[in-house]
Amino acid sequence: MRRLVRLVVLAALAVWAWRLLLARRELQERAGVSYADGSSLVLEPGTTGFERLAAVARSALRR
Amino acid sequence: MDVAQALSELTELSSQVERAVVLDADGSVLGSTLDDGAAAERLAEAARELLAAASELRTSGDEVTRAEVELSEGAFFVLREGGRTIAATTGPKPTAGLVAYDLRTCLHGLGEAEKPKRKRTTRKAKEEAAD
Repeated sequence: MRRLVRLVVLAALAVWAWRLLLARRELQERAGVSYADGSSLVLEPGTTGFERLAAVARSALRR
Repeated sequence: MDVAQALSELTELSSQVERAVVLDADGSVLGSTLDDGAAAERLAEAARELLAAASELRTSGDEVTRAEVELSEGAFFVLREGGRTIAATTGPKPTAGLVAYDLRTCLHGLGEAEKPKRKRTTRKAKEEAAD
């Protein structure tokens, strides 16, 4: 029983740490586009638009 | 103000901008902070790609005036105004508003035509001209 509790606690800690790490990474990454008509878009990681712009930006940062 | 002077002021003004390139309306490189011409051209190519990709996000075909991508390894900014485009890279976690302001200031500096200096005529010169 004690082993099981320890395992559950460890699993919960691992999930919490993973989510914290993921959230931090997501907060750091974003893309924004403004247009001539005054409108703008904010793209979050995981969307197709963001991944497209991020690929171009990564290549620019490597160059 | 010429491009080299505007870019020099930009790098003095902004500690966050690492590399920058200015493009003409047709996409050709007008100047850059990079010594290597090929590297400047590659950065310009990335700027053109980013504008094209950002434009494709909308079907209305409105012109993209600003595109910025912030990643964990750094950020890439592209601004377009008055037919000119400026692109710049920064390190991670830049102050996006400040960088965009500095880049816009650089573009405005380029747009400012040098004012013609007035020639001051002295009274003596006027009298000589009258004679």
